[in-house]
Amino acid sequence: MNVLVWTLVAPLVTAAIGGLPGPRRLKEATMVSGLAVTFLLCIATARQFLEGSPPSAFADALRVDGLSALVLVLCGLVGLLSGAYGVGYLRRNEARGLVTPRLRREFYGLIPAYVFAMLLVSVSNNLGVLWIAVELTTLASVFLITFHDRDTSLEAGWKFLVLGSLGLAFALLGTVLMFAAGRSDLGEGMSALHWTRFMEVAPELHPFTLRLGVVFALIGYGTKAGLAPMHTWKPDAYREAPSPAVVLMAAGMLNGALYCVLRIHLISKAALGPEFSSGLLLTLGLLSVVIATPFILIQWNLKRLLAYSSIEHVGIMAVGVGLGAEAGVFGALLHMTYHSLAKPVALFSAGTLGQLHRSSDFDRIRGGTFSRAPIASTLFVLSAVIMTGSPPFGLFFSEMTILKAGFFGSHVTATSVFLGALVVLFCGFAYQVAHLVLGSSREFTEDSPDPERFDVGMAAAVVAAVIAVVSAFYLPAPLIALIRAATEVVWGGA
Amino acid sequence: MTVNVLILCAAGMLVSALLMVGQKALFTAIRLYGAQSLLLAVVAATIAISEGRHELLVTAALTASLKGILIPWFLMRTVDRIGIHREIEPFLNVPASLLICLGLTVIGYRVSTGFQEGSRGVSHHLIGVALSILLIGLFLMVTRRKAITQILALLTVENAVFLVAVGVTTGMPLIVELGISFDVIVAVLILGILVHRIVDRFESMDVSRLSNLKG
Repeated sequence: MNVLVWTLVAPLVTAAIGGLPGPRRLKEATMVSGLAVTFLLCIATARQFLEGSPPSAFADALRVDGLSALVLVLCGLVGLLSGAYGVGYLRRNEARGLVTPRLRREFYGLIPAYVFAMLLVSVSNNLGVLWIAVELTTLASVFLITFHDRDTSLEAGWKFLVLGSLGLAFALLGTVLMFAAGRSDLGEGMSALHWTRFMEVAPELHPFTLRLGVVFALIGYGTKAGLAPMHTWKPDAYREAPSPAVVLMAAGMLNGALYCVLRIHLISKAALGPEFSSGLLLTLGLLSVVIATPFILIQWNLKRLLAYSSIEHVGIMAVGVGLGAEAGVFGALLHMTYHSLAKPVALFSAGTLGQLHRSSDFDRIRGGTFSRAPIASTLFVLSAVIMTGSPPFGLFFSEMTILKAGFFGSHVTATSVFLGALVVLFCGFAYQVAHLVLGSSREFTEDSPDPERFDVGMAAAVVAAVIAVVSAFYLPAPLIALIRAATEVVWGGA
Repeated sequence: MTVNVLILCAAGMLVSALLMVGQKALFTAIRLYGAQSLLLAVVAATIAISEGRHELLVTAALTASLKGILIPWFLMRTVDRIGIHREIEPFLNVPASLLICLGLTVIGYRVSTGFQEGSRGVSHHLIGVALSILLIGLFLMVTRRKAITQILALLTVENAVFLVAVGVTTGMPLIVELGISFDVIVAVLILGILVHRIVDRFESMDVSRLSNLKG
């Protein structure tokens, strides 16, 4: 079997072992080592691609090109980090007696299963398989969102599943319509739904049917990416899900969903010309950035704050692609990379703060967190600096690249609005974070927060922070090659 | 003959969707959904036989057994266990809802004329009906409050998508079709479990009560 298949088998086996009854230690060891192996296999797959022999499997239904390889490697890394942090996270919950054997099985089974589904998304070359994989990510994450079994988690889980299923029904309709648009040219059997096949026959696709299909598919997959106005599930899900799962959503699935959006965009670009779907992406992206602004300013919960920040960032990526310039596409993919490296730090530290205080609401945490949880607070402030796009960190450069592409291109008004929103977002986020961590220490009369301890979860958070900081000054050459290869796919349409 | 069967079944699906809008008893609504799925299976089987596309027979069999029988049975069992049998007053009353759905049907048919195949023959009816059912499903989704009705609305949208797939493309590749069916089944099971948990917790399956999370 080739390396691509192994990359998918590894997390699946990990999930199976985690989902069966067994001792806690074994599950912990399996999850971390399984996800580490998965990450190494992702790198091996990407390497094989860079060496000029792109791996593919199942008659090209799974195929790795530049974009796939980039998303695959990022998902693998995020999966490993979140697995390692997850072990520490669940241990802290165990110490408080919150974890039943059933919950433990769910946790250790669903997290690798989620990783598997994400990796499957990122290597799907077949629009049908792509849809199935995205639906799998949805199904794998529902019980992670309802994991804590509070009233609010049921609400969040319900909204997530209903909205997600509706979005996916739209995506399916979009896929069907796109298939219908090329009915006579695409041929028969499985290969008729191959993305590469669509690109080959793009000029012959029926324009009206394709246009309708593209709109539905973009809305559908946009729902999964959390582009406004289909973003409403995101804050609820982020608040309720355990932080390791949120990291998978925010830094893994976000890329996966954007991958779907880009694939659809590319078909549309090849068949209908660049304006149609670029315009849609630009509108949705701009709307996401603008909508996130007021909610960040009035936010009352730490993890919801990060959800709106995530909506903002996916909006930035959509704007970058929608500007219709090569530099914009490069900026968007660079942004995706840096965002995936920075987001885990923010969510790990926020998750730890929330866990120690037993709630992620500002009311509970506010006031002198530095004295109570110095490591988590430091990491959180650091991640906030990175996430808001301050120099010298990576997100600053990717945002500048996108802005430059915008101002030198044909969308100056849109770019100005975009810049304005970014400035407000920066101030809003900084204000919220300063409010949270600074200020005098306060006394807890009852139910005082747990003391911070350095455990495996914190170690994962520190490692993530080191990666995020180092990446600002040094990106490994193969990673840069991957970003360039992905840009070539998205810009060149090959 | 084939054309008549197809048009009759498609019309039947549309009627069942409209009846669902006018229905408050949950059992009847679930049965209507089951009937709609069976009609979809007949459409698929008819096309399979008349055009000699035998994979479509598998689709038809899957649709009939899963969506026509298994899912309705599962939903009825859920309703029975919970013991809540009627939809409470929807956000819009029945006559107004039916009028709106009539308008949605017109829109569905209007859009269907833009398709390559849409301007003539039986495909036109299939696409028109499918788009109308899609819009009606979405309408049900936003105006109803019971969790079970929302699931039904979602499944109705799904049926509409399948009708488009069968009517316009005469079927997706079989493996894809199997994967989609599997995913839909799992989604319904998970939705069912969530409904149970919601009822246990809130002693109601009125999803408009799920409104604590804001901002």
